Amino acid sequence: MFFLTSIVDRPVEGKAGEPIGRIEDVIVRMGDDRYPPISGLVVRDRRRRFFVSSHLLQKLNGSARLSSSTVDLQPFARRAGEVLLRRDVLDHQLIDITGRRIVRVNDVQLTEIEGGYRVVGVDISPQALLRRLGPRALAGRVAGRQIVDWADVQYLASTAPVQLKVSYDRLAELHPVDLARIVDALSYRESAEIVAALDEETAAETLEEVSDERLADLLEGMDQERAADILEEMAPGAAADALEDLDEEVAEQLLARMEPEEAADVQALLEYDEDSAGRIMTTDFVRVLENTTVGEGLALIRSLEEVPDPLLAVYVVALEDPGTLRGLVRLRTLILSDPATPVTEVMDEDLPSVGPEDRAESAAHILAEYNLLAVPVLDEERHLLGIVTVDDALAVLLPEIWQRRGGRTFA
Amino acid sequence: MRKRLWPYLLALGPGLLAASAGNDAGGIATYASAGASYGYELLWALVLVSIFVYVVQEMSTRLGAVTGKGFSDLVRETFTLRQTTLILLTLLIANVGIIVSEFIGIAAASELFGVSRYIAVPLAAVFVWVLVTRGSYGWVERIFLVLSLVFFAYIGAAFLAKPNWGAVAVGTFQPHLRMDAGYFSLLIALIGTTISPYMQLYAQSSVVEKGVTVEDYRYTRFDVIVGTVFSGAVAVFILIATAATLFPKGIRVDTAAAAARALEPIAGHYSGVLFALGLLGASLLAAGVLPLATTYMLSEALGFERGVSRSWAEAPIFMGTFTGLIVLGAAIALIPGLPLIQVLVGVYVLNGLLLPVELFAILRLVNDPEIMGNQVNGKLYNLIAWGIALVVSALSLALIVMTVVGWFK
Repeated sequence: MFFLTSIVDRPVEGKAGEPIGRIEDVIVRMGDDRYPPISGLVVRDRRRRFFVSSHLLQKLNGSARLSSSTVDLQPFARRAGEVLLRRDVLDHQLIDITGRRIVRVNDVQLTEIEGGYRVVGVDISPQALLRRLGPRALAGRVAGRQIVDWADVQYLASTAPVQLKVSYDRLAELHPVDLARIVDALSYRESAEIVAALDEETAAETLEEVSDERLADLLEGMDQERAADILEEMAPGAAADALEDLDEEVAEQLLARMEPEEAADVQALLEYDEDSAGRIMTTDFVRVLENTTVGEGLALIRSLEEVPDPLLAVYVVALEDPGTLRGLVRLRTLILSDPATPVTEVMDEDLPSVGPEDRAESAAHILAEYNLLAVPVLDEERHLLGIVTVDDALAVLLPEIWQRRGGRTFA
Repeated sequence: MRKRLWPYLLALGPGLLAASAGNDAGGIATYASAGASYGYELLWALVLVSIFVYVVQEMSTRLGAVTGKGFSDLVRETFTLRQTTLILLTLLIANVGIIVSEFIGIAAASELFGVSRYIAVPLAAVFVWVLVTRGSYGWVERIFLVLSLVFFAYIGAAFLAKPNWGAVAVGTFQPHLRMDAGYFSLLIALIGTTISPYMQLYAQSSVVEKGVTVEDYRYTRFDVIVGTVFSGAVAVFILIATAATLFPKGIRVDTAAAAARALEPIAGHYSGVLFALGLLGASLLAAGVLPLATTYMLSEALGFERGVSRSWAEAPIFMGTFTGLIVLGAAIALIPGLPLIQVLVGVYVLNGLLLPVELFAILRLVNDPEIMGNQVNGKLYNLIAWGIALVVSALSLALIVMTVVGWFK
């Protein structure tokens, strides 16, 4: 086990100990390996830089010794799939998956495994910086390391100026909220790289939490087809907010590319002001006709292709006009009641409701006041337009959480 | 036509704001001192420095657009650790100086209102800290920005003061060098305040934040031009206003009240209040933004957990540095008997002295084909850019030599 900064600039010797040059950099092949193998060294001799294959390496720790006295002096050139540890990894940013944060590499840990050398981790401790800053002789005096296992980090392919195939599988382990925080903290280009690697559903969940400005930039920067697909996966309210921050022309193009059904949902929400109940409401809810029984209601829910999440209640609507709300049956009641009971017998009537133009805050206050999990949004003719859930309302009541995320405008 | 114009107008922002930020407490003090002490003599320097500003800002924003990375990121990833430390250290010192100057601006403004600075400065420090950490800085920032627009009154004041336009023209087009340390330090302060490092950091990071690409970089360049012309004009008119009103009477700008007097032609008795409002707005604006920017710069380069929404436990170094910078700035501004205006100018002399380090770092980055591809400086442009770096270095060196020689006289 040794560290990159302890071997760079160290001498490279031939078989008999004759000087060949100094270690300029260490080449690593990125691929499917958990711990990427070292494929060679960039060796510097005066002004020349040449490649030495790892097959010739007999020893790397301390100083490098080769198994041959003659080396091919072909000048070093960068190749696809290869990363230079000193140029492209040391001092660069990585994502620490377990720590859910962005870290900077202060040193790289290498080790010999089965006759070859591999990268096994990165040191992110401030002590590593001190060791590098001070004279080499004093470096040993500074104790303390903070190693992150290489299997636990995400390397960003855009960091190196070559074509790289990097696996982004591990990103999926992060919660969308943590991903969003990372996406916000990275530069635009790096964040676009991350979002591009996510599947549409995760990307949608992540982008719902990303700051408004970054979200608009990301959507405008990506392929329109994909942007439309991601918008479809987003909650209609969040998608509407996102589209409103975009250039009008782009927003219309994206809406046109979305599935007509999802686009219509989003367009309906766009009719209402930002910060209105109509904007934050969910149009995804279960409605049953008033002649339904509890058992039929439950069967209906089970038969749905996509069941609303969260599912809090079913809404009972009038037989002659399925738009008009009669009342609601809580999920709890639905499960506890006898399947043969008509829903009209167990439904709650005279519930508080809000209008679509009401301020979102007043919807939140009604939820809090009446201890509800959701409040229906009705127009003047008591037509059910949507519901505002506690989740939606929380975002209104605690706006500072959302604002605080945007604190990185002057970095 | 409309279609071609819009993107340019939409791009206005970072460059404009960054350049206007140069006209803060220290900037006003420097321009006013220059006008009051040397009349129109330093006008040519101001025009020249504006060109410098454009070149440096343009390189910074281009770095941001091509790499998609902030300055401290690039420095850490390109230079050796020791060089990085040197560059960040000079930036840190320069920024601490400016933070101090902003609190001095707050002190000076409050004293114009008749409020003791021992009350105003600690209050302002707490106010700014709370605003930034609570994340509600955005809208307050706009209020401060509007307040600082007061300095546009200097343009009116300059015209109403009926300056000798012939002398203005001579001062503008005829370079004039005096071989005394006072003149030299003002010259360097002019450079230091107009090209302060943090403006480059800011302009570059906002270009990165906005995700500007090489393809639409020309709009950003337009923004930089407009910003430079705009802030240059304000600076020129402050100098003309003070040169026309204070210089003939032999009034030196030693206090904020003296600088405010140059506004008398336009504001009469209200000149003091007007000046104090502008000063307060400009200083509070920068007093919040600078400590935050400096902390981000250090945390990003060193890889500390960062963000004002983090708690002390999550990001102790980030929060500690941010708080420390505000406390330090406020504490220095409260030292009893501190000659405020001289310290303001002094801070920018320091800034000018440290500037070469940053300039050479930018030049090294912007000319690296591995970083910039084909967007490296052109030959002629590079000549101008290097010329600027060398001129600034030579002036800094000259000032140091003159100061040292002065000690032995």
